[in-house]
Amino acid sequence: MIFFLLCIIGSVFLFVYSLGVGHFDCGILEAFDIIGKSLRGEELARQTKHIIWYGRTPSGLMAIAAGAILAAGGGVMQTLLRNPLADPYSMGISSGALFGVSIAVIMGISIYDSSQSYAVILNAFVFALVPMAIILMASRRGDMTPSKIILTGIAVMFVFSAFSTTLMLTTDSETLATVYSWRVGTLDGISWASLGIVSVVGVIGISFLLTQARKYNVMTAGDNSAKSMGVDPKRTTLVGMTVISLMTATVVCFTGTIGFVGLVGPHIARLFVGSESKFLIPAAAGFGGIFLLASSCVARVSGPLGLPVGVISAMVGCPLFIIILVKMRSNVWGSGV
Amino acid sequence: MKIDIKEMGFGYTATPVLKGINLAIGGNQLVSILGPNGVGKSTLIHCINKILSPKEGVVLLNDVDVSEITIKDLAKEIGYVPYSTTTSFPLSVVDTVLMGRHPHSKWKTTDEDLQKVYETLDLLGIEHLAMRSFNQLSAGQHQKVMLARGLVQEPKVLLLDEPTANLDIKHQMEVARIMRDLAHEKGITVIMISHDINIAATYSDNVILMYEGSIFAVGTPHEVITKENIKKVYGVESEVVDFRGKPHLVLIDEKLKNLELPKDSYVSMRAQETAAR
Repeated sequence: MIFFLLCIIGSVFLFVYSLGVGHFDCGILEAFDIIGKSLRGEELARQTKHIIWYGRTPSGLMAIAAGAILAAGGGVMQTLLRNPLADPYSMGISSGALFGVSIAVIMGISIYDSSQSYAVILNAFVFALVPMAIILMASRRGDMTPSKIILTGIAVMFVFSAFSTTLMLTTDSETLATVYSWRVGTLDGISWASLGIVSVVGVIGISFLLTQARKYNVMTAGDNSAKSMGVDPKRTTLVGMTVISLMTATVVCFTGTIGFVGLVGPHIARLFVGSESKFLIPAAAGFGGIFLLASSCVARVSGPLGLPVGVISAMVGCPLFIIILVKMRSNVWGSGV
Repeated sequence: MKIDIKEMGFGYTATPVLKGINLAIGGNQLVSILGPNGVGKSTLIHCINKILSPKEGVVLLNDVDVSEITIKDLAKEIGYVPYSTTTSFPLSVVDTVLMGRHPHSKWKTTDEDLQKVYETLDLLGIEHLAMRSFNQLSAGQHQKVMLARGLVQEPKVLLLDEPTANLDIKHQMEVARIMRDLAHEKGITVIMISHDINIAATYSDNVILMYEGSIFAVGTPHEVITKENIKKVYGVESEVVDFRGKPHLVLIDEKLKNLELPKDSYVSMRAQETAAR
């Protein structure tokens, strides 16, 4: 609980600080003044309002929301699949979404209306859910063990990746750059509307996962033991994974594939609060939020035009994780891990 | 609580693992299931607590078909202690045992749940381990924690899959004694799979001997553990002697030869060896 509260307090302070971070020179007090005037509907210089009110504010809040969703989802995925290498993308969500984006951007084909700006978002969302649909269909025809689920996800990932790569090889460099920037994950161009959608989905999704925390604890004992304690492992796994898929697809369709935080975020949280799901889910969410926000601050000032947040989160996060792993107790993983 | 198994059969593939199982078990007793590897002992108890569904026949719990009981309701009646105690993301001992309260709980852990957990830990003499991480424990402590998790379910029947495997002799005896005492004093039916025939003979009230997917013999340890049965089921020669009113198996390996110590072979403690030289 203390870890979670520290993450929340840290996120608030970092968010305030982040409003002043970027190539456009703007102090924190000035940023607050701009936000205040925007909320009151007062006139502002177009560039100032655009950067602070339509840029850094929703981008910072999206970093918190997306980081929280990915890390909480990753923690539950690792628990359900009993695999420390699992993350929200383990089911092939990212490759499905990339394929959806590729056919929308490169071929101009979309689920709804390809002339609209949200065609790419809709395509990414729908195709991100295809791997989970395949897993659900396969589960009706037989037992889907955690290993089978992961292997199915990997197989689906390779199929979608192959199609996406084929499309990317046939396009021009400008279109390729658009698809590629989406692939590495970015918080640029986040709108208030998309932030609202992600926040609502995140609150509902994480709340649901918290209500299932006791079942997830029982799942760590293995399928047979879980059954003997009154938990249906197949149902619990598939319901949990469907919720995580919906949460992750919602994030991915707006931000692209932001890696690392969903995989390593839960492990860092686990080092501080242990593996009890009731504590792990909020702790991972708290850490994921603050970590992605910090990464986005660094990403904004990196290079002449900034870098995608996915690149920074991996660059900063991996060494941090290795240091924590070496320095801290490691008994939060099973003997085989 | 009584368990009736009628004409039960099961197979993971077309080849049956269990066939024509007919058993009736009841009363406050410790029952051991014996038999060679792969004979279907674990499969049998997995069919009893609905981890597996029989392909033929029925398993009745107090005359109700277990296939018609929800797994949550069944978990209130039947507890299970698995063979393997490995866990992917270990919790503290108290949280591990608390899992066993799931069939009786709704959304959150109640004070009553915690009280029962600590009472069970106290009963097994491991209350001092409550806040330790599960994977910091020894094999014997693991087994007791698993046992506590099964007991805190407050089951009428407790199924144990080789609870004494991987334990030293002291812990084997301790765990088997606890099983027997629990059966007699707490009024539950304890069914335990074992590969240690002498442990089963010493502590069990009744024994089930399995052979080639079927029940070969049932009865008291004296009735079941005979040299003829051991020869037939395990294919080994033995002598069964009576020790303190219980049968005791002594294995005979007729193929064992060269009982003399090979020349120039030795094992000694380094200090003694140095002193001797």
